[in-house]
Amino acid sequence: MSSAAEARFRIAESQPTGRVVKVVRLERVSDADLKDVATADLVVMVTSAGADAHAAAAIGEVCSRRRITIATVVVRGAAATDELLSKTLAQVRPWSLMVVVAGDESYLDDLVKSFR
Amino acid sequence: MLRKDQNDLLTQAGPATPMGRLFRTSWIPALLPEELPENDCPPVRVKLLSERLIAFRDSGGRYGLMDEFCAHRGVSLWFGRNEDCGLRCPYHGWKYDVTGQCIDMPSEPDGSNFARKVKLKSYPLVERGGVLWTYMGPRDQQPPLPEWEFATVPASHSFMSKRFQECNWLQAMEGGIDSSHVSFLHRGDLNTDPLFKGARGNQYNLNDARPVFEVVDSPGGLYIGARRNAENGHYYWRITQWVMPSFTLIPPRGNHSIHGHFWIPVDDEHCWTWSFDYHPTRALTDAEVAAMRAGKGIHAKTMPGTYLPVANKDNDYLMDRAAQKAGKTYSGVEGFAMQDASLQESMGPIVDRTKETLVSTDSGIIMARQRLLRAVKALVETGATPPGVDTAHQRVRSASIVLPPDQPYKDGAREALMAQPGVAPASV
Repeated sequence: MSSAAEARFRIAESQPTGRVVKVVRLERVSDADLKDVATADLVVMVTSAGADAHAAAAIGEVCSRRRITIATVVVRGAAATDELLSKTLAQVRPWSLMVVVAGDESYLDDLVKSFR
Repeated sequence: MLRKDQNDLLTQAGPATPMGRLFRTSWIPALLPEELPENDCPPVRVKLLSERLIAFRDSGGRYGLMDEFCAHRGVSLWFGRNEDCGLRCPYHGWKYDVTGQCIDMPSEPDGSNFARKVKLKSYPLVERGGVLWTYMGPRDQQPPLPEWEFATVPASHSFMSKRFQECNWLQAMEGGIDSSHVSFLHRGDLNTDPLFKGARGNQYNLNDARPVFEVVDSPGGLYIGARRNAENGHYYWRITQWVMPSFTLIPPRGNHSIHGHFWIPVDDEHCWTWSFDYHPTRALTDAEVAAMRAGKGIHAKTMPGTYLPVANKDNDYLMDRAAQKAGKTYSGVEGFAMQDASLQESMGPIVDRTKETLVSTDSGIIMARQRLLRAVKALVETGATPPGVDTAHQRVRSASIVLPPDQPYKDGAREALMAQPGVAPASV
């Protein structure tokens, strides 16, 4: 059976989820961000290997209390050492259900668009 | 989700399509040697990347893979006579060698040179590591033969099977990198399947049903790590390798073999699922091979003389509701292979990805799609060789390993993730 034939009697509409996705850059987290994430369904934390990611804990506490899922993107630039990446991972791992270590930041847009 | 144009781009692999071009940059598995068991044996019809081909083995043991249809009147050469170093069309006797060159045209006058001007499109077909491989791209860009580790170990160390799958290659492949489904769909089999049971790592799986995932770019594709709690604050990591476009390597368990897959498009609505097991440092035991032949582990029981699964769409995959209810199997379908295939096929021949609702544990799938889209774009726009073609990208291993909590697994398991001849795999 072809795709078209198989799909003929499937319900055509896709239901909007209304999911709220918040992207937070850990290097510049404000009080407003902390309020914002509390209303999200999914929080995407973004940081770079070696950057100061201590704000992950503050975001994580808020999300943990409200059972909000966190996914984290760590951008590992070519110059980032294992040690720097380790340091960043140690800060974000306790709070993240999924961590992506990407070579560059261009994945971020695709990732967020995929969570419609 | 993916836009429709992106979904079309990734799922269409016929000639002159961008994804088809990407598949045509690499050697791909075409047949098992058992399909052409002896010289002058019957030819075999093969459909790959939406091209209908015929494979045969001539009187000298040379393998041929070429257009299925005679250049004369379009008759299928499956009806052909494989004799005297060529495949002869039974309609009017035109005969072709393994390169597709017409070498005899009995209907033409003696001394005619016309046969030399007739040549069917053909592709190389080469045996390596228990697989007949073909390369369907431009001749002048043919890469070196594949160096996947399973294809380089002694024959006694590896086992390969294939099965026909009734859906597009991408949704089957995405199942292979979706580590989060294992805790549900396959939970009934971890401690019972002879090719999985008994490993210490299984206990970590069972004790921590909510793994955390880390996806990391690799030279050939992605490392997909699933992290669970181990003793003393350490983490148990299971690291899957995905190498573009459709190779996956599943982490081993204990002293069991390493296993993995290729998903190769037959056409846009069907694919071949190739499944292999190998151990880098020991021969597989008779019991292991018998279990693989019986459809255990990642292999499937197929109908004799075919590569069609015994449990399939037409018989509802032999659904066993009692086993489902009793928790013997989670979905009611028996065996890892058909548990996966049944659900992937249920999505339809080509799943409509504009309607899916992905969550954070799908990040591996999202990353893989993006890497494929980028590689296709680079290939089409600049001719850039895609990741996975370089044989260095193929010399990889999956691993299961316990690491300290703050260590990036890519670094902690750096050596374990590379194929090292004679070195046992990192496996817990």
